[in-house]
Amino acid sequence: MPAWRRLLRAALALPPAYAGLLLLLLLAAAMRPQLLSAMLLPLIARQAAPLGLAVIGQSLVMRARSIDLSSGGVIVAVSYLLTSGYFEVSDATAMGLCVALGLVVGVVNGVLIVQTRASSMIVTLAVSMVLTGIVVALSQFRAPGDAPEFLRELARLRVGGVPLPVLVWLGALVPAALLLRHSAYGRSLDAVGSNPQAAALSGLPHLRVVFAGHVASALVSVLCGFILVGFVGKGSITLGQDLALNSLAAAILGGVNFGSGRGGMAGPAVAAFMLTFLFNFLTSLGLGEPGRLMLQGAIIAAAALVYSSRR
Amino acid sequence: MTALRSGIRRTTLALPVVLFALLALVAPGFLAPQNLANIIGQITALLIVSLGQMLVALVAGIDLSVGSVMSLAGSLVATQADPLLGIGLALLLGLLVGITNGLGVAVAGIHPLIMTLATATFLQGLAYLVLPIPGGQVPASLRGLVSSTLWGVPQPLLWCALCAGAVGLLLHHTRLGLHLFAVGAQARSAQLNGVPVVAVTVSAYVACSLLAVVAGIYLAARVASGDPTMGANFGLESVTAVALGGVQLTGGVGSVLGVLTGALSLGLITNGINLFGISPFLRGALTGVLLLAAVCAQRRKVVGL
Repeated sequence: MPAWRRLLRAALALPPAYAGLLLLLLLAAAMRPQLLSAMLLPLIARQAAPLGLAVIGQSLVMRARSIDLSSGGVIVAVSYLLTSGYFEVSDATAMGLCVALGLVVGVVNGVLIVQTRASSMIVTLAVSMVLTGIVVALSQFRAPGDAPEFLRELARLRVGGVPLPVLVWLGALVPAALLLRHSAYGRSLDAVGSNPQAAALSGLPHLRVVFAGHVASALVSVLCGFILVGFVGKGSITLGQDLALNSLAAAILGGVNFGSGRGGMAGPAVAAFMLTFLFNFLTSLGLGEPGRLMLQGAIIAAAALVYSSRR
Repeated sequence: MTALRSGIRRTTLALPVVLFALLALVAPGFLAPQNLANIIGQITALLIVSLGQMLVALVAGIDLSVGSVMSLAGSLVATQADPLLGIGLALLLGLLVGITNGLGVAVAGIHPLIMTLATATFLQGLAYLVLPIPGGQVPASLRGLVSSTLWGVPQPLLWCALCAGAVGLLLHHTRLGLHLFAVGAQARSAQLNGVPVVAVTVSAYVACSLLAVVAGIYLAARVASGDPTMGANFGLESVTAVALGGVQLTGGVGSVLGVLTGALSLGLITNGINLFGISPFLRGALTGVLLLAAVCAQRRKVVGL
């Protein structure tokens, strides 16, 4: 087969995120070139960092044929813990408490999904409901306040022109990609995802793989919460509510489907940037919240359709 | 109708009875006729939606878009001056959504959770487009259908009885009902036996969306205005109600009586929260805990999604 044909085949097999991003950049260059300026692009990348992190966690659990939609609840809880001053502790201790909370949520998710075999979407949605409900109830007594100075600084700093949150994102992305490609956990994840029964019969720790994925995903949600709280500057009950669905859309667009992951970690990262750029583009065109939601739903359905037709 | 197919166990029936007895003894003002009428009025919407959710659960599916369908139907009815036009549009919407969900799940092979989540998000955006902020005015003729009594019986009770009766008739006296149970229990066998699996699955999703539209119209008429986020919690609450009612989410097992007990239990718990003066904001948290308990009590072989 001639080389150009091989190249074309490889290009067509790429996840939709790459083509989508290319198309989007071309459209932006034609209609809203200011979005591609050196001033706005780093800001968009910074805005994409929480989504990029969430996608890392989401692709880990999706490869194991599970899903984690509890990031909304975890982020709201983190935001409240950090800003309400409910416990009279230092900022560092509060952040440590948040990590502990993430661990607890991840363990609860993992145990319920692995032991009782309940549907992971329902379990994680319910856990998110419980967390959000508790925070909303507590907010009536003690409103969320200002974010810790450390996190606000983290959101503002740039290192060599690159915003710090983007570096945090890359700092999590590279080890995750290496973990997936070269570690035993990564291989087990691929095996468990493509055929759980065969993996279990072959002696792979099927349940532990899924469990570890959920704990990791919850901890990643805590990190997203830290960054988002730093962005906004104060606690908020509505923080990060659309992160769960967006991470699902970005993961599917980036080539990760339930049980398989052909895009590695690069595809979902590109998809996260693409989605953030898309939402900024749509806002610049005057499309509001209704249009954004409709597009989100259409993207998830279309991406899922593309992947089910490829199988 | 054997116990195997209805999914009703002693605990399923005991739960609402125990709750009723508990609240009658402990909660102040529970047995007042106004409170009891309130309970019926409040669980009607949940019951109607849960009946639809049961139909989809019977074919091993799930429909998370019912909440958005309710919101959109309510918003449509509240923004159209002519009640017939509003109802007609809403029913058409239900038909289209049901067909889309059903085709996505049965033909394209998309997982029902993903498909209905996508539909739910899309429809929520549409609801905001139709009615950006709570408002609108539901026509008076429609309002009159939900708030008073007819022949001495409170109208919500009639809505409940009508929908429960219709679904019960569908399940136990039509061929479609039999096919629903067959497809849910073992789709491959059903197909080999000549059951049109795709048509049956699509019908289940269409019925679910239509019932959600009815519930949305009821709720909008009861509140007398529209709210684009009116149905937001009903998706997960209906899953809780059917799970509490013994319906297996893996398909093939369920009954109208089960849904009745599940919706009643949930309604009694909510009423208890109000009567005890617990923060209404904790209701979401409590529903989440109930959902976890109900879903974890069901047995499944697959781990994950």
